[in-house]
Amino acid sequence: MAISKEIYKTLESVVGPEFISDDPVICEGYRSGPGGYENGLGYERVMTKIAGCVILPKTTEEVQRIVKICYRNDIPYVPYSTGFYGPRSHPHVEDALLIDLKRMNDFILDEKHFYVEVGPGMIYSPIQEECMKHGAYVVIGGGGAQASAIANLIGDGWSPLSHRIGLPHRRILGTEVVMPDGEILRMGSLAQGDDAFWGEGPGPDLRGLLRGYTGLRGCLGIVTRMAIKTLPFQPERLEPTGISPNTALLLPEKRIKWMNFTVPSKEAQVTAMKNIGHAEIAGAVTKVPLFWRAIAKAECKEDFWDIWSQENADTVANFFIVRVLLIGFTSEEQMEYDERVLMDIMTEVGGISRRTKPTDESWIKNADSAGMWLMCGGYVSVDYVIETMSQAPEHGPSYAELKKKYTPPLMPDYGDPGWFQSFELGHQGYSEFLVYWDQDDNTDPVDQFYLDTSKMNIKNRFYTSLLGPHQPLYLTGPKYGPNYHEFLLKVKNEFDPKWKSHPPVPLAHDVFVERAPWMHHMKDWESPADLDK
Amino acid sequence: MADKQHVRYYKPKTDFGLDINDIQNFVYDMSRCIKCKGCTWVEHTYMPGSKFMTRCPSAEKFQFDAYGAYGKMRIGHAMAEGLLDWNAKALEVVYACTLCGACDVGCKRNLDLEIELSLESLRVKAVKDGVGPMPAHKKIADNIARTHNMYGSPKENRTAWITEGIKPAEQAEVLYFVGCTASYVNNEIAQSTAKILKAAGTDFMLMPEEWCCGNTLFSVGMIDEATALAQRNVDEVRKTGAKTLLTSCAEGYRMWKVDYPKLLNISTEALGFQVHHHVEYADEMIKNGALKMTRPFETRMTYHDSCSLSRLSEPWTPYEGKRGWMGCVEPRLKRRRGTNGIYSQPRDILKAIPGVQLVEMPRMRENAFCCGAGRGVKEAFPDFANWAARHRLEEVKEIGTETLVSACPWCKNNFTQAVKAGRDDMQVLDISEVICASIEG
Repeated sequence: MAISKEIYKTLESVVGPEFISDDPVICEGYRSGPGGYENGLGYERVMTKIAGCVILPKTTEEVQRIVKICYRNDIPYVPYSTGFYGPRSHPHVEDALLIDLKRMNDFILDEKHFYVEVGPGMIYSPIQEECMKHGAYVVIGGGGAQASAIANLIGDGWSPLSHRIGLPHRRILGTEVVMPDGEILRMGSLAQGDDAFWGEGPGPDLRGLLRGYTGLRGCLGIVTRMAIKTLPFQPERLEPTGISPNTALLLPEKRIKWMNFTVPSKEAQVTAMKNIGHAEIAGAVTKVPLFWRAIAKAECKEDFWDIWSQENADTVANFFIVRVLLIGFTSEEQMEYDERVLMDIMTEVGGISRRTKPTDESWIKNADSAGMWLMCGGYVSVDYVIETMSQAPEHGPSYAELKKKYTPPLMPDYGDPGWFQSFELGHQGYSEFLVYWDQDDNTDPVDQFYLDTSKMNIKNRFYTSLLGPHQPLYLTGPKYGPNYHEFLLKVKNEFDPKWKSHPPVPLAHDVFVERAPWMHHMKDWESPADLDK
Repeated sequence: MADKQHVRYYKPKTDFGLDINDIQNFVYDMSRCIKCKGCTWVEHTYMPGSKFMTRCPSAEKFQFDAYGAYGKMRIGHAMAEGLLDWNAKALEVVYACTLCGACDVGCKRNLDLEIELSLESLRVKAVKDGVGPMPAHKKIADNIARTHNMYGSPKENRTAWITEGIKPAEQAEVLYFVGCTASYVNNEIAQSTAKILKAAGTDFMLMPEEWCCGNTLFSVGMIDEATALAQRNVDEVRKTGAKTLLTSCAEGYRMWKVDYPKLLNISTEALGFQVHHHVEYADEMIKNGALKMTRPFETRMTYHDSCSLSRLSEPWTPYEGKRGWMGCVEPRLKRRRGTNGIYSQPRDILKAIPGVQLVEMPRMRENAFCCGAGRGVKEAFPDFANWAARHRLEEVKEIGTETLVSACPWCKNNFTQAVKAGRDDMQVLDISEVICASIEG
């Protein structure tokens, strides 16, 4: 139902005329595509709609009033923090109200209890800068320095720094949520005033329901505040240097430095990562795709292709790098000790130290996810897996094999198995597979590849992160549950019985498959007849 | 299948150029925006903390995505594809923007999209479609047509700034292009510039008949009028035989160095003379000993980077080529990313003045927050221009400086008005005045 003049006036009374608009030009500014994460793909073309109206609240109370108005008047709405996360964070139905949360960029750093409290408009890089000024640090999530910390933490929230800092949901100390019907729910530390804080409140871990494995893209209400745990860092300043585009943080090398090693085999790579974790040293341990090095070296897009053209299947297959970030958290002596341990480990696995710049261009403060679009224009991290250190490295090669069938239009990467690394000091392994394409090509095969990865994961028994919001729920739910889908839909129906919070998530990918003719031949699972087609 | 593929798949190549007359040249750039908002955030390496996080005045003031480059790219793309029509809001979105270039250098940190040119082209389209520019801009255009200056002041008053002791030469290698604002409003800048040249032992001449540089015409999309003015002015300077054209206005500097070549489809080099802002010249004179700054200037000072002197000032090279698979272009395009703007020279000058304690603001160089005056904003959206200046002054106060220095009369005037309105205890000076104060005995 379109937003009537009366409802518009009611909404306007909440935020004032300056912060609401249904002008088509303003709404066009919020269009999902055609560029961006996962954009130019079928999902974006088929599933996203331009908002019918945009509103910018400043406070939780305003959000609550807006949501109550929507619920009372059957207005679908979508929470929107920075809009970076592609079509999944944009309206999927006509005449939706887009609730832009960028004005809610409050920031509080609690030095005594060592945590920060932020609104959904606050992004990572300022948080990290403020933390570092106070001897602390957080993860700059893989989503990038420009990502909303709240959106990222209820979505992904990991990076190479997760080697020591740990998984995202453990850093969420408390959340304030405006539920789909407008009720405010405060969980964890935010529910407890001055009491000691903890991750879970009494009863079920609602924070976990909210987040799921990688989040539900705003279909269970709006997180308006979050308390995020910070960890102790080293005290020296990381000085910004250079002029754009060649900027970096200059590292105080007696307290923090990257070290690169090449090792003789994949086994050696995994062994090195495990042993580094076992020794409880380092702030990050990672292996990145070879083409990321080409991005880092390239002066421009064309330069990238010149550099990348020098590679082939053999060079990619024999590229075994281990990148290690050493941090002298307590002292220079601790740093020296860690380096000696690292060198011992590398000697054992046959690692050779490679030249490394005394700077950080990415991960500590400036996660450069935007650079992912440089060479092709189209990009998505098609899947993430958190497994054991032994299993995670098996994930990438299976994707690389499947990818051959869809290349082109996917970028030729010569079988690169993606990114993997240690999480939680080697107790877990992380694998992420990334694909790239030119959105001016026929991208139907990219949509099909996406779905095919889900079938492959089911077959190979990989428990992947995007099985919920990024794949057909009726395909993945029965296979992973056997009633995962039923559980998730019960939660949705309980909290949002009218399905007004970002409909039709979490069934959006099911609907996409129904609506996109080029996907029909892949549908070999059952779904309800009353699915919104 | 893939094993036998060459790296570069076949894809028909399409012609394109950097001509802002045709919005279709920028559809690729507009369609590749990923909403990372690198155009708006201070570059993350330099992110100063939870205050002063953004560098786009328009996005910061109006908040809706439409006002950031990420929104304008979507709006521009929809218009180029014929999916969206002009309305009053569209004109506001397109013109309530200082074209300060923050978005352009921000995007080119990672993506190399031509944001500034897309925005300029969108304004040209507005004029060609008969909806632009704004009424206030048309008044300026009328002034320029009638009196050859943007203020509509009598032509004969253009050289009234010349006081006793200032003697332009009949013929010299250096031609000082004074500009409308220093000629009619901020005489102190023109006078200081002339005194600096004299102190350095440099003769200078003026144009026989100086006309407006056309900054406002170009900036609001009146490209035909701006091109005619560019051609006239370039021809006149060439006739004088000057080897160097010197400006004291950042906007004028950008016009001569970047936008005249752009309008005339030539390279900056092909102008036939060099274009310098006086800070480049003074810096060189100081470093080679020709200009001595000995008189102390006791103050805690900060420097505001004028957009057109800094991130927008790299020289222009015409380009026509083909775009193919993955958007790669040939021949290779040397992109203007703001890296080689005039950043160090003014700072070196100020640091060389005895008594000056130069303190940087959190947002500096390519990350600087525009004063809000330029590219037609002050005329059409004075409240927005004042808001932007006030916002920047908050940063000046944050670092506790008592003197704010810039290198453009547009910045100086906008800041001065904001200081006056806010009754702030702060002095606003042009860098020419500061240099002059230090060289005068």
